[in-house]
Amino acid sequence: RTDGRVLAVPAARQLARELGLDITQVPGSGPNGRVRVLDVHQHAAAQQQP
Amino acid sequence: MDFDVLVIGAGPGGYHAAIRAAQLGLKVACAEMDKVGGVCLNVGCIPTKALLHAGEQLAASRHAADFGLTFGETRMDISKLMGWKDGIVKKLTGGVSSLFKANKVTHLIGQASFVDANTVRVGDKTYTASSIIIATGSEPARLPGFDVDQDRVVDSTGALTITEVPERMLAIGGGVIGFEFAHVYTNLGSKVKVIEFLPNVIPGADADAVREFTKSMKKQGIEIATSTKANKLERKGNELHVEIENVQTGEKTTEVYDRVLVAVGRRPRTAGLNPEAAGVQVTDRGFITVDRQQRTNVPHIYAIGDVAGNPMLAHKAMKEGLVAAEVIAGKPAEQDAVAIPGVVYTSPELAWVGLTEAEAKEKGFQVKTGVFPLSASGRAMTLQSTDGFVKMVVEEGTDLLLGVHIVGPHASDLLGEAGLALEMAATATDIALTVHAHPTLGESVLEAAEAVHKQAIHIMNR
Repeated sequence: RTDGRVLAVPAARQLARELGLDITQVPGSGPNGRVRVLDVHQHAAAQQQP
Repeated sequence: MDFDVLVIGAGPGGYHAAIRAAQLGLKVACAEMDKVGGVCLNVGCIPTKALLHAGEQLAASRHAADFGLTFGETRMDISKLMGWKDGIVKKLTGGVSSLFKANKVTHLIGQASFVDANTVRVGDKTYTASSIIIATGSEPARLPGFDVDQDRVVDSTGALTITEVPERMLAIGGGVIGFEFAHVYTNLGSKVKVIEFLPNVIPGADADAVREFTKSMKKQGIEIATSTKANKLERKGNELHVEIENVQTGEKTTEVYDRVLVAVGRRPRTAGLNPEAAGVQVTDRGFITVDRQQRTNVPHIYAIGDVAGNPMLAHKAMKEGLVAAEVIAGKPAEQDAVAIPGVVYTSPELAWVGLTEAEAKEKGFQVKTGVFPLSASGRAMTLQSTDGFVKMVVEEGTDLLLGVHIVGPHASDLLGEAGLALEMAATATDIALTVHAHPTLGESVLEAAEAVHKQAIHIMNR
């Protein structure tokens, strides 16, 4: 449990906001499921493909 | 509109907001009724740190004989100390003015008061702005019966001005401000007592860290009384007679002091601002409530720093200033810091970031801790500063770092690593696997991480 804290690095949190994505919905590939910048980019690309 | 953004207040929050907004191409004004730099630069962070450093040097000179360095009579020229401190303040506030000029921020001088939601009167002129940022800060809270004259009975501002070192001083309030001044005055030669109404000093800090911290403060001569309050003050000539009560036993005593510091907290400052004219709501405690984008209930009006809520810390205000400016510039910024660090700049320092052990347990975490005492640090020995430790609070199983609590020299600087680790969602293993330079105090952070796993090298693991 993470007490509502999103395990995402600051740059990934910022990028998600800029892309209009909910960071809590981005699957993380880092340790403990940590969300990295690359994960946000990949999630954004996947969202665009119907 | 005269400006895209009008910032009210030029403290840490206000000048950060103004400069960032200008960097983002907005036409910015910053109104300030007093001196630029606000409380932090003028009567807060900076001057206290200058006094703390000077006091520490004086104390250090007394310990230098341990390694064979002796002086003649060590004397502190108080007026020279004041001049040096004031010089630093002047240089830094001048720096903020220069930054305003370089970033083309218009500096408006005068008390600001809302006329309506887009109009602010500053002094005797009125200005309009599309967005407004309230950064009016806070002021020392008052204690009934203890009228501050800034001479014998002082608040944090008055305590910065020393003409003669008081023989006996009472600090009312065992928070950060109370202890920093207690430390300054103790090092200058005063006999200082700190009283705190609550059962523990430095509320918000980890209990083990506070215990270690108070042990060292007492060793250095500071008397500490918790669950204690000051009832009344009587001036008899140059003496201050203070009635003190233990709130648990009800026992009352009257003690005599030469100077009394009232440091019972700070309250948000909105006097004269007239936020009602803009429709901005203020809570009954005087704070302006904001969302994660620093917006008040009026969407184009923002509030940052002390006036926007606790903790009242400069770096929190600075971050909020950047967020407000970026949101106004159309960026999707928000105050999403994992943790705001806290620091007491005594010697040793007490510094922490993230959850205390008690907070982590309260939130339902299965907690593991690791502690590394500075008495086992080679670097600490060479610095004659072995009081203290690094304590790491980690989630069992995931090994996720939850909080770091440090008592020791340069704890405030070591905290940077801990803050980054929290933001990056690091585990204790990540920290333990990071090569830290030897010999440094920072190694204690590594060793505390190792201690979480019962694998520290320089101590026995229990």
